[in-house]
Amino acid sequence: MRQIAAGALAAIAAVVLLALSGIAFGHAPGELLSTLISGSIGSSFALHGTIVKSIPLLLTGLSVAIAFRAGVWNIGAEGQFIVGGLACFLAARFGLISSLLASMIAGAAWALIASLLRFWRNAPEVLTTILLNFVGFHLLGYSVNGPLQEARAQYPQTDAVAISLSTSGEVVIALSICIASWFLLYRTKEGLRLRATGFNPFAARWAGVHVNAQIARAMAISGGMAGLAGGIELLGVTHRLFERFAAGYGYSGIAVALLGQLHPLATLLSAVFFGALTTGAGELQRASNISASVATFGQAVVILTLIGLSSRAKRGIP
Amino acid sequence: MFSVTSVVKIPMQLTNVTKSFGPTIAVDDVSLSVAPGEILGLIGENGAGKTTLMRIIAGEIEPDRGTIEVGGTIGFVHQHFMLVNEFTIAENLALVGAGDARFENSNRLVRDLSVGEKAAVELMKAIAKEPDLLILDEPTSVLTPNEAQKLFDTARDLASRGKSVILISHKIREVLSIATRTVVMRRGRIVREGGGAEQLARAMVGERTHVAPPLRRRTAAESRLYVRNLSVGTGEIVAVIGVAGNGQAELATMLRDTLPRETTAHIPEDRTRDGVIAEMSIAENLALVTNASAEELIATFGIRATGPRQRAGNLSGGNQQKLVLGRELARNPAIIVAAEPTRGLDIESTAFVHEQLRAAAARGAAILLITSDLDEAFTLADGIHVIFRGTLSERLTPAEAGTRAGQLMAGVR
Repeated sequence: MRQIAAGALAAIAAVVLLALSGIAFGHAPGELLSTLISGSIGSSFALHGTIVKSIPLLLTGLSVAIAFRAGVWNIGAEGQFIVGGLACFLAARFGLISSLLASMIAGAAWALIASLLRFWRNAPEVLTTILLNFVGFHLLGYSVNGPLQEARAQYPQTDAVAISLSTSGEVVIALSICIASWFLLYRTKEGLRLRATGFNPFAARWAGVHVNAQIARAMAISGGMAGLAGGIELLGVTHRLFERFAAGYGYSGIAVALLGQLHPLATLLSAVFFGALTTGAGELQRASNISASVATFGQAVVILTLIGLSSRAKRGIP
Repeated sequence: MFSVTSVVKIPMQLTNVTKSFGPTIAVDDVSLSVAPGEILGLIGENGAGKTTLMRIIAGEIEPDRGTIEVGGTIGFVHQHFMLVNEFTIAENLALVGAGDARFENSNRLVRDLSVGEKAAVELMKAIAKEPDLLILDEPTSVLTPNEAQKLFDTARDLASRGKSVILISHKIREVLSIATRTVVMRRGRIVREGGGAEQLARAMVGERTHVAPPLRRRTAAESRLYVRNLSVGTGEIVAVIGVAGNGQAELATMLRDTLPRETTAHIPEDRTRDGVIAEMSIAENLALVTNASAEELIATFGIRATGPRQRAGNLSGGNQQKLVLGRELARNPAIIVAAEPTRGLDIESTAFVHEQLRAAAARGAAILLITSDLDEAFTLADGIHVIFRGTLSERLTPAEAGTRAGQLMAGVR
């Protein structure tokens, strides 16, 4: 109950602060707010934009949530998203299912590199996954400037893929993954073990849980979902790869997961909120000439508010 | 007419002090004072409220009611060491402004010290500033008899110079040997002052229904658990005793990692870290290990909780221990490895845990009991090993252990 309240409070704080920040740009907060709302849910065009943005956010959010639930600080959804997109592009000629599967496998494999480093050298995931993001980013940069560059060789991007995924297809996949995540975490024994590992690996170990297996599996699932997000984004939205393909979806997934209190169903609401925020911010840029990066500002406010609330709770202040 | 105002500085005076933690009354309307030059022995079972009372005196905890007057400085040697492991002895002492003259080589890291040496550093910290009142909380539980003697000499020395000492312990004989006055705490109250060992003991445990261990005759039992010279037969309870830090934790961990989990129950020593998952509900904690119904287990093991959905972290220590016990024993395991299963529990919970272990043995389980509570070992065990610096002694009968355990624990062969 308190967690839901904390999430709602953080979301409201983000919107209010965004509106107030309009003063700094010489706009009335009320006007700014109405642009944000109409630009995200005010028309079917805006609504479509919000849905399309929410889907990758939902998947990267779930990816982060599952890893964090197992106590693994996977900050690498961005890199996993990229290699997912790459694998999907390469496997596109084998059909829709195969290419999406390829994106999941690539994302999982990319994430498991961090787990291997953990088991081999006790390297913390929070570092290795961030570093793997850079590797992934430059791998993509190399690919679109070299071996995978479009036939015309004009821009640093690939040719368009031959297959595509409809928005309704995207929605079905993302919602299924969301419900499956909830089922795994809260309705299966393995989910119980995964959460136990995240809460207290010592006690989990004494209770007979194979902690390392849980960590590796959570990482594989987490990476798989972020990779799938990349695949879906490629087939459903961008149709081609380019350097800024990931567009920060992986990092935004952290904010999405935290606002969703690491619960899959709440993460769905959180993803839609951030999707709307991002879409609304785009409209803000067009209409009021305020940079769309205010959406990033909104994410930061959400995270900071949540941190503030959680540390209050830990100090025993109601 | 004139009035006399007392000018004798009383180091500490408590009046009607009460402190509750949730529904548990830890300290219940206690009035207590200590005079200069006095060594006050405070005895009581685990969970009687001794440590809480001392932490109130030291100002670490606010009481709910009552007044505290402290007429001087207090030195507090905690039951658990409060040292910086990565610092040297000298650095640890420098933190509180103490000198290191008493130590041969004060450049050693605290991490590398034996528990006895750590206790000595802790004591030096406490007496560095010549406190008017020195509180020693269960100081001897990790000490060899020799080290304990040194500690008591220091306490007597302080008292002879007009300082006051409070010694907390549950070892009656030890307290009687040094204290000038003895009070007994039970369930948060002071229930007795003065008297001989027999009377003190009775006040300490209250009306205890003593369950005598059933006489069991062993005939070449089949061995269930075997580690080098350690073997535990079907239906047998074998205890491993020793001064803390001599390899007990390593033994338990090794057994955890080698014995088949399906047939082995583990009761870990550190229940808050290793026993329960505080963030999860009772039901979830149970489901990690057993398919048994949470409601039934709560009833059978008398866990005081609002229901299966209560967070395990909100249970009291004793109820957390019952939760671990219930979870592990519900599967009717063939082997039970129980480390300090009653540490910090009140008398009733302790009796309950003992009863459960005996019942499990009667059902044919092989039980290895790793404990620093000698009474527990002697009450329950059919055979006793002493562990010292990672090595187990040969198996002793309780009678043999009664005469030899002290020496073996101190490493004297």
